[in-house]
Amino acid sequence: MKRREFLRKLGVGTLTALGMPYIAMAQAKPVKLAALLPLTGPFAFAGNAGREGFVDGVDYVNEVQGGIGGRKLELIIEDTGYDVAKGTAAFNRVVSRERPEELLFVYGDSTGLSKALAPEIARMGLPYSATSFANELADPKTYPTIFVFGPTYNDMMEALLRQIRLQKGRAKIALVYSNTEFGRDPIPYAKERAKALGMEVVHEEVTPPAFTDATPVVLNLRRANPDFVILQGYALSAEPLILRAAREQGLQAQFMGTYYSAELALIQRAGPAAEGFTVTYHNAYWYDTLVPAVDEMRKFRQRKGRDTSYRPTYYMGSLAVVLAIAEAMRRAAGAGKLTRAGVVEYLEKLGDYNGLGLQRSYQFVNHRLPYTKLYRASVKDGRFNAITDWIKLA
Amino acid sequence: MSDLLPYLIGGLANGALYGLLALGFVLVYRATSVVNFAIGEFLLVGAYLTYTFALFLPLPLAMLAALPAAFLFGILVERGFVRPLLGRNVVAVIMATIGLASTLDGGVQLVWGPDLKYLPGNLPNLGFQAGEVFVSSRAVWNLLLALPLGLGLLWLLRRSRYGILVRAISEREVAALALGIPTARILAGVWGVSALLATLAGALLAVASGVGPNLVFLGLKVFPVAILGGLDSVGGALLAGFILGILEALSQRYLETVLPGFTEALPFLVVLLVLLVRPYGLLGERQIERV
Repeated sequence: MKRREFLRKLGVGTLTALGMPYIAMAQAKPVKLAALLPLTGPFAFAGNAGREGFVDGVDYVNEVQGGIGGRKLELIIEDTGYDVAKGTAAFNRVVSRERPEELLFVYGDSTGLSKALAPEIARMGLPYSATSFANELADPKTYPTIFVFGPTYNDMMEALLRQIRLQKGRAKIALVYSNTEFGRDPIPYAKERAKALGMEVVHEEVTPPAFTDATPVVLNLRRANPDFVILQGYALSAEPLILRAAREQGLQAQFMGTYYSAELALIQRAGPAAEGFTVTYHNAYWYDTLVPAVDEMRKFRQRKGRDTSYRPTYYMGSLAVVLAIAEAMRRAAGAGKLTRAGVVEYLEKLGDYNGLGLQRSYQFVNHRLPYTKLYRASVKDGRFNAITDWIKLA
Repeated sequence: MSDLLPYLIGGLANGALYGLLALGFVLVYRATSVVNFAIGEFLLVGAYLTYTFALFLPLPLAMLAALPAAFLFGILVERGFVRPLLGRNVVAVIMATIGLASTLDGGVQLVWGPDLKYLPGNLPNLGFQAGEVFVSSRAVWNLLLALPLGLGLLWLLRRSRYGILVRAISEREVAALALGIPTARILAGVWGVSALLATLAGALLAVASGVGPNLVFLGLKVFPVAILGGLDSVGGALLAGFILGILEALSQRYLETVLPGFTEALPFLVVLLVLLVRPYGLLGERQIERV
């Protein structure tokens, strides 16, 4: 009996000793990044492309860049359906389930959701960004841990209005936007600046974020007879419809949009009606093969056996975000400060990094990156071509 | 007036679709007293079926091919969901349609993905310029297909043998059974026709604005249209469809600038007001229950 027990203890002890290295590796806890994206709902196209960007980015960080200081970067994905209630539930679920030492960044979606979560995020000191470029989020005093990885919608409107002034003095403009926070966010600023720049806002139209019949919108626009029409608050859910209806009804105005309308699929869906559609866009396109990140990702995807055909702008944007977050985390880990506060600190010092060319730079001004380029749709080329260099908006 | 005309034409185009869908809804209700909450999903599935066929066939043929497929779908729904619950309280069947609606919503996204897709190809362009007014191809096609179909169905119900059988079954099912009328088969046919109408509406919608899960929201409009026309009136459904289409167009023109978003609520408001005056809808039959 005694011998049997002794042998048993010896056996268990040996196995443990042999297993020690494996246990030690498993002990290196992963660093977690949660992305709450609209995988269903009116912006599902954007959400799913964004998800792919996150997946590729995280895989790239782990396999090519060696993770975060020896720790693996782990991605958590949740669907918000572009619904604030669903998004809040997903946020609460993730935040209560994960440990604060592991979950070091949360990426949310809509302007509505982000504004609703902002006070809680500030209280938790949780580094946060979102697909939203709302002005309210770029406020380091009130929300010290929230970052906007691009210009705000106000900045984008500024860029468009300056372009309008360049093209025509005393222009008549119309604003068509969705009845979401995303749509409404920059409208007061746009109206104020338009007046200041000597333009006249001849029409304002509010629509649902996705709809099936653009005829009434275009009929109203025709009556107002604007020179320029700015669309805000749609991510390809309505622009092609509006453009096609406008062409059909003979509306002679130049259409413009912001970041989420800058996707190639718009040209495919709107056909000839897309000609001349002007947008703001601050990342690289998948066909900008001179950009290091594009070249890298094409090769990476090829190695992983993933499709290397065109990736949408929503993919590129997510990639830019992941690379920046990973770099900040890596620097924080290097300084021994891989915590939520450390990530915030090193994000603020990320000015010398440019995400392999995906962004002009990550020099945050008021926790946003106030630079963008303007692109114009060319149906002949089947793509958006840059019509300006980097425009400084702050 | 010429300023108003384009809006009215657009309203009629939409009204045609509302009428078609409401027709499918009312047919089933009239024959079986079942409120089919999955009618929006019938439209959705029909639109996706048309999209799938359009990947292989030119669009007009695809639409044509989708119709018998839809009829089959309707019959399958009746066999699978309605027949087993025969004899039970009609509420059970209504609950089943609610469950079916959720299942179809999710199933469609599972099979085809959540993105917005556009139909390859186009219907022949029938748009034309009449003086100052442009009549879109969409409006022409909607009216061209919906009106004859709707009126034809109305005539069928009134005059044809099949129609009389349907009306007999809807009035007294037990008596119909006793007289040897093939009730089950006829009711299956009614569900089939309902799905067919929803599919046509879905296909026309998809041609204009693409196929996506958001198409199902047109199904919400069915209820005010059907109630406005009178839940058991086939002619009423068509009429109410056009009325609401026109009212929506007028609201978009005059009220949208003052009250943004109001047009979405308009159908329900109209129904509320009409029901205050005519509780059975515009053309519904007064129901007198003797207790």
